[in-house]
Amino acid sequence: MLSTSNSRTALRQLQRSRCLLKRLVHNSIVPEHCDVLVVGGGPAGLAFAAALGSSHRVQESLRVVLVEASDLSKVKQWSLPEGYSNRVSSITNASRGFLRDIGAWSHVEESRTRPVEEMQVWDGISDARVAFSASELLSSQPISELSRLTENLNLQRALLHRIACLPSIEIMDKVKVQSIVQDNQDGSDWPLVHLSDGRVIRTRLLVGADGPNSPVRSYAGIKSYGWAYDTHAIVGTLYHTPRGPYSPPNTTAYQRFLPTGPIAFLPLSETASSMVWSTKPSLAAALKAVESSVLVAMINAAFRLPEVSIRYLHSRILEAQESGSPLTLDELREELAFREQSHSIDSHSAFSSLMSSEEASGIPPEGADSLPPPITSIQPGTIASFPLRLSHAESYVGEGKGARTVLVGDAAHTIHPLAGQGLNLGLADAEALAECIDQAVAGGLDIGSHTALLSYPRNRYFENHKMLSAVDKLHKLYSTTAEPVVWARSVGLEVVNELDTVKTALMMSAGSHRTNVSQTGWELAARGVGSISQNLHSARMLGEGVAGMVGASVQQLFKQATTPRQ
Amino acid sequence: MRASTSSRHILRSAKNIRTLHTTVQRQTSLASSSSSSTVNPDEIAHFSRLSAQWWDERGEFGMLHKMNPVRTQFVREKLVEMEYEDGHEDLNEAKVLEGLKVLDVGCGGGLFSESLTRLGANTLGIDASASNIAIASLHASNDPALSFTSSSLPQRFGSSVSHKGKGKLTYEHTSVEDLLAREGPNSFDVVCSMEVVEHVDNPRAFLTSCAEILKPGGHLFLSTIARTPLAYFLTIFSAEQLLRFVTPGTHTWSKYINPSELTSFFHNLHSSSSLSSPSSGEIEVKGQTMDIEVG
Repeated sequence: MLSTSNSRTALRQLQRSRCLLKRLVHNSIVPEHCDVLVVGGGPAGLAFAAALGSSHRVQESLRVVLVEASDLSKVKQWSLPEGYSNRVSSITNASRGFLRDIGAWSHVEESRTRPVEEMQVWDGISDARVAFSASELLSSQPISELSRLTENLNLQRALLHRIACLPSIEIMDKVKVQSIVQDNQDGSDWPLVHLSDGRVIRTRLLVGADGPNSPVRSYAGIKSYGWAYDTHAIVGTLYHTPRGPYSPPNTTAYQRFLPTGPIAFLPLSETASSMVWSTKPSLAAALKAVESSVLVAMINAAFRLPEVSIRYLHSRILEAQESGSPLTLDELREELAFREQSHSIDSHSAFSSLMSSEEASGIPPEGADSLPPPITSIQPGTIASFPLRLSHAESYVGEGKGARTVLVGDAAHTIHPLAGQGLNLGLADAEALAECIDQAVAGGLDIGSHTALLSYPRNRYFENHKMLSAVDKLHKLYSTTAEPVVWARSVGLEVVNELDTVKTALMMSAGSHRTNVSQTGWELAARGVGSISQNLHSARMLGEGVAGMVGASVQQLFKQATTPRQ
Repeated sequence: MRASTSSRHILRSAKNIRTLHTTVQRQTSLASSSSSSTVNPDEIAHFSRLSAQWWDERGEFGMLHKMNPVRTQFVREKLVEMEYEDGHEDLNEAKVLEGLKVLDVGCGGGLFSESLTRLGANTLGIDASASNIAIASLHASNDPALSFTSSSLPQRFGSSVSHKGKGKLTYEHTSVEDLLAREGPNSFDVVCSMEVVEHVDNPRAFLTSCAEILKPGGHLFLSTIARTPLAYFLTIFSAEQLLRFVTPGTHTWSKYINPSELTSFFHNLHSSSSLSSPSSGEIEVKGQTMDIEVG
């Protein structure tokens, strides 16, 4: 009995191995060799390839190949259309420094980028507000901007042009990765990557720059933890009147934290800006379905109306959507007029969403600088939405059955867009990994080995983790809806302080120096939270009079943070 | 993990062996010779049993993997230093090993030999354990960028792979004594023997052979564990007995060699003029202590 079952198993094994053998004989494709195979031609993957190719050592010793499923020639020949793409990123000074170092920034069409000189962030419930500007950054060199808003396509195009000057980097686009298996022959642990054009590449190191659902990460067997936010982000390109002669130019970014999620206004030119509106999925769907003019009014209202009324308008939009007759512009204007009247908002004030475009171009009403200019229209076809989630891979470097793999960018982590850090984290990963590989080459190491890659997660994992969790906590903090009224004041106070912490951290990461400065920033931010909670405790006991003291301590902390070190 | 290890010592001698670097640190590798006097059969059996684990970066030899970049950097830096001392101002530091004939005595699984080859050296790795050589050969044959030739293994990859400036790599199951007998003295530009001397039976004979096979003006790099209480604590008590990172019996305390002993050995070697070539200069022995950090 036992022996028959054994022989049966053996027979089955034999058949299976024959099958395998047949398959091998059938596609007897000799694998190509490469040293670094980058999967994914997004900004992180391209920046990594460009950084590698810019190293002389790498140029002399490694073959680097990047595969991308889409047609990159379209991106490369992107004709700089009149309108703006809806995918825009805030490139920090640190990231721009890196892009400059690898020779990519000079290929960016700078006229299509916009410096952010000031940021205004405020709480949707308490209206507590912080504003910070580049001129507050006390650095050894004068810094004129906090970050640079750049279309992702503009950046990708620049990176492609840079890579075209680097002979050691080979790009294979319009090619999908079909499967990845380990080459087990003779105890080897190299990944064998089967491509849709029939080619097979045996690579020393496989770099996953292949986005949130990274196939490389699955091959590596690296788990990713995290959670979906019950939130979708709506993006779009907005048109508005230019700022008048009495107002500063359109270089201020605005963000209002509503309980449903933050809405951000990011300047692209005098008359165009980009929007990222994070909100509940059902509401996002309803907002996408309404007429463009209705959405325009909703966006203006989202920056202006008190939270109670916004909540009401949102429920109206949802109801109308459910009943099958979406809200019309007239209905909405009627609602707005009524709401504004009840909040005693004058229809000529900056806080009215009903202002006509003629009025907007005149002398700006009081308070206009604390709000984005009134939106007049939306660039057709730019409204889109996507779900938001937080995720972080358990490790960045694969081992065992997934050896010789490493993750960068969204394949390693995804983040809520409220701090505009997603792309910057990816670029910082690209920089750190390229540096790690350069050092490994200099030391004669096998760059696919775990030992050679050790310094990459050491440099990036904790840094990314800090940013991910800080942004996650901010999202959760601001999602809190109306606390009991008695607590309203202290909540308001807390919010102010939290905003100052955000401010310190954001401003530090806006610095032009890399690594050291941003570390200090986060440490200070963390210390800030500590001292704030202490102060907050006493503030709660002593009441309103102490609020000034808290503010002063935060200010002091901020001054410490921005004072140039040595 | 951070483990500071025992001190490293570097000696530099000049004569027909112009420089000699001895480093003293923890961990192991293997000695030479199957037939002649210095190979210890028990040691060979021990390492043959462990040979399959050479390339497990998290296993028995994990510490050796972590030390490897430090050793490579050390060899490169010293060679660069010597080149400058010889007045080669137009030196390309990155290519200091390129084209040199290098012997790695007691190459084990080939960790160090592969690194040397990647930096451009024409490397011969020898080991007294046949299974070590088999593992090293198999591993090298899987890497098409190493210009590896072996008589026993079929060529896995065609000539399509470009070896951008890489050296050639060869492995051989032999001892330094046998190699010396066959190739004759003055055969290699650089001789390395990392974590080996503490495993051989007759270090005196072993070191003499290493010195003789070196070309005049060549460089000898040695690394071993100093016979200090700290080294005992780290390499035998902690690593073998307490934490079992390393198989017990890997190290033998009495075989550890102190830097001063190595230094005086090479001084005496010079004065007794046991070396085959006539001496033109004086021996210069330099010692250097270095702590390494493993993380």
